[in-house]
Amino acid sequence: MSETSATAVLDDARPPKPSLGKRLRKLPLTLYLGGTLVSLFVLVAMVSFVWTPYPANKLNLTNRLASPGTPGFLFGTDRAGRDVVTELMLGARNSLYVSVVSTIVAMFLGALIGLSIAGSRRTLQGPFTRLVDAGLALPGILTALVLAAKLGPGNTTATLAIITWQVPVAARVTIGPARQILALDYVEAAYGYGRTKAYVLRRHVLPNISPLLIVLGSVMFAAAILIEAALAFLSVGVQPPTSSWGRFLNETQSLLEAAPYLMFFPGVAIVLTALGFNLLGDGLRTVLDPQQARTGVA
Amino acid sequence: MLHLRNLRVTIDDHEIINIDDLALQPGARLGLVGESGSGKTMTAKAIAGLLPNEANVSGEVNFDGRNLLALGDRDLAKVRGKRIGFVFQDPARSLNPMMRIGKQVSEAIRIHTDLKGQAVTDKVVDLLRQVQLPEPETLLRRYPHQLSGGQQQRVMIAAAIAADPELLIADEPTTALDVTVQEEILRLLITLSEQRKMSLLFVSHDLGVVRFVCNQVAVIYGGNIIEAGGIDNIINHPKHRYTAALLAANPGMPKDDNFSAFIGRRLQTITGSVPPVGRFPSGCRFRNRCQHASDKCVATPPVTASSTDHRYLCWHPAQGGKS
Amino acid sequence: MTTSTTPLVSVEQMFFHYPRAKITAGGSGWTLHDISLSIYLKSTVGIVGESGSGKSTLIRVMCGLLRHQQGAVRFNGKDISEYQDDGANELRRQNQIVFQNPRRSLDPRMTIRRSLTEPTRALQDHTPSDEELVDSIKRVGLGPEVLSRFPHQLSGGQLQRVGIARSLSVNPTILYADEPVSALDVSVQAQVLNLLMDLRDQMGLTLVMVSHDLGVVSRMCEHIIVMRHGRIVEAGRTSDVLSRPASDYTATLLNAARAASLERS
Repeated sequence: MSETSATAVLDDARPPKPSLGKRLRKLPLTLYLGGTLVSLFVLVAMVSFVWTPYPANKLNLTNRLASPGTPGFLFGTDRAGRDVVTELMLGARNSLYVSVVSTIVAMFLGALIGLSIAGSRRTLQGPFTRLVDAGLALPGILTALVLAAKLGPGNTTATLAIITWQVPVAARVTIGPARQILALDYVEAAYGYGRTKAYVLRRHVLPNISPLLIVLGSVMFAAAILIEAALAFLSVGVQPPTSSWGRFLNETQSLLEAAPYLMFFPGVAIVLTALGFNLLGDGLRTVLDPQQARTGVA
Repeated sequence: MLHLRNLRVTIDDHEIINIDDLALQPGARLGLVGESGSGKTMTAKAIAGLLPNEANVSGEVNFDGRNLLALGDRDLAKVRGKRIGFVFQDPARSLNPMMRIGKQVSEAIRIHTDLKGQAVTDKVVDLLRQVQLPEPETLLRRYPHQLSGGQQQRVMIAAAIAADPELLIADEPTTALDVTVQEEILRLLITLSEQRKMSLLFVSHDLGVVRFVCNQVAVIYGGNIIEAGGIDNIINHPKHRYTAALLAANPGMPKDDNFSAFIGRRLQTITGSVPPVGRFPSGCRFRNRCQHASDKCVATPPVTASSTDHRYLCWHPAQGGKS
Repeated sequence: MTTSTTPLVSVEQMFFHYPRAKITAGGSGWTLHDISLSIYLKSTVGIVGESGSGKSTLIRVMCGLLRHQQGAVRFNGKDISEYQDDGANELRRQNQIVFQNPRRSLDPRMTIRRSLTEPTRALQDHTPSDEELVDSIKRVGLGPEVLSRFPHQLSGGQLQRVGIARSLSVNPTILYADEPVSALDVSVQAQVLNLLMDLRDQMGLTLVMVSHDLGVVSRMCEHIIVMRHGRIVEAGRTSDVLSRPASDYTATLLNAARAASLERS
């Protein structure tokens, strides 16, 4: 028999693929939960561009602090009579904008730094990693406050603060796996036919750590949501009249007697969104992991 | 003393192992030989009760009269370690890197015997000496990474025989070791087996190693034992075509230093490769790779005994002697 | 130009240590110690030794992947450090390696087709045509279907063949094989060894094979180099060295290998 029988067996080399239904059922619960929450968040944010129950910042001075269920105001109104549902939707939009921008930039810079360190000379790797660790140790809120002091509060400051906070995280996480891959035979083979280190990092290391980066991204998103809310809460982030969950939450602090229930709305929104991203990241990691084992990253 | 009967293991409706009959006498050394995908490791795990959760097992694994498969976790734990010892392939992975050697060996002693305190330490030193490790008193304070691969494997063996088991199951114990170290470890296993009248189930892909250590061999392919018997019998007069092919494909070493005749001679290969689980043909599992297959082979061959010490499952067995 | 009397590769008193190793006054710390050897065109040489012998390091220095600190390594009469720029690519093209573990030596995220085209793209600045790829893959006994697959979809034996096809795609003069069959089952080993022998004969390759398995080396290699602790213990024609070993170490290795091997005629 010719050796093409070696490939005739190939098709048999993969065990019969389970049906789509079976595969969908095998996906982890976290993926579904997280996915649902995140999709909800994105949906609400996107819808807010075309429709909100009330125009932004429409004050209803006659209907201040209306309780939830008041006709026309599903979740009630805030101190200035603004509809809570509208506020939440607009806040979602803001959170989405800030977290998307900051996460993408932070991941890009962080991965770039991480890969460069992993590819640098042995003697340099130690000191550079320590620098990254120093960056990690820097208290994020402090950096945000300093930035706000210099640049003034606002979305830009918030975004910059989140980026500064998250870049060391992304860098730190990529260094280890990148180094592992650089030690593998296929990288040695690539050097063997003259590829430069930059090429190897770009074409061999990066694709092989992409599952990791995807998971990292979702977790960083969750962090960004929380940080943005925290900064707005501290009045360092976005300023009125732009809506933000964090600022909304801040306002409810002084209303504890008048309308104690009000804080739950922005609070729960923040928690659910951050939770959603975390769950999604967890689910993605579980799903991508068995592939990881097959595709090389330990 | 160990008797597998009608042992069937399935995972996800795919049959992984189907062994009608495999026996190991007290004091005997049986080699279970197969390539990857043959089911040899799964068989060892089935005996040990270490199959993955998704596996469905039926049949009997009779150890000293009791069916191990019918035992509950507690009873099984009493047998494992005390009456059956295990040695696995990669000692670096089986030893806890954070625990000193002495402590790891003494764990086995503490669990399965009534010894306490100094008696335990004495026993550990004694065991380390039995596996021919130098300066055992100093060694017991060392950590695994301070030992060589061969020394680590000796420690594993010491832990495995700590409670004086009647059966030792070793799964590819020397595959990760250098050839000179391998010889020492194999000799050690033989010595221990002879001195303690301990049976040995030696799982391996290497027929040469099995020939050195064992007096009996069972060849496993596609989860079935396709040939079994005395080691010399099988190696010199293989009957099943797969056994014969496996022997022919083995590079081996030339007889009588006749190296010049050896060089450049092509090896005999087996066409194709081992099918994955669930893709084996019906009847004789080897038939789609066998030069001598015929229509008859669609039916499962019966057990033929060519002597009391040699049985095989083949419609067209090989004739004649050594290849 | 190599004549039949000038070696293709010659190594003279070469010493090598890994970057962070400390070399003591007494001379310890070197991974490779005072290595001198010659490899002639179209010969097949086996390098045997146990772990820590330095055999894998040696071939990496010989093909230029690692740079030695002392002594000389010459390819085709010229010191390998003199191959610069285009010459460096030419040196690499003529010296190719096949690695031990096929699952680690192919990028799991690249298709087989992509992996196969890498050396040509890097060293010869063009992409092989589909025809050339199919020829390449057929030459190692695989069918064109594997081209669009990923490494995890192929078996160990098939992957190793791909690895071999990849190294041969640039038509090297010398092929270094680092334990090419150690990670494979016996029956697959036999297939790959036969393949290496066939390809070597077809392409007139010089083959340098590292192995811990004396049986494999006695089948494939007319010449043998025995290494221990970074030094060459003994070297010569396989039949001479193995039937009448000059060194005790070689004899020990031989006995141990014999004990655990099948005697074949």
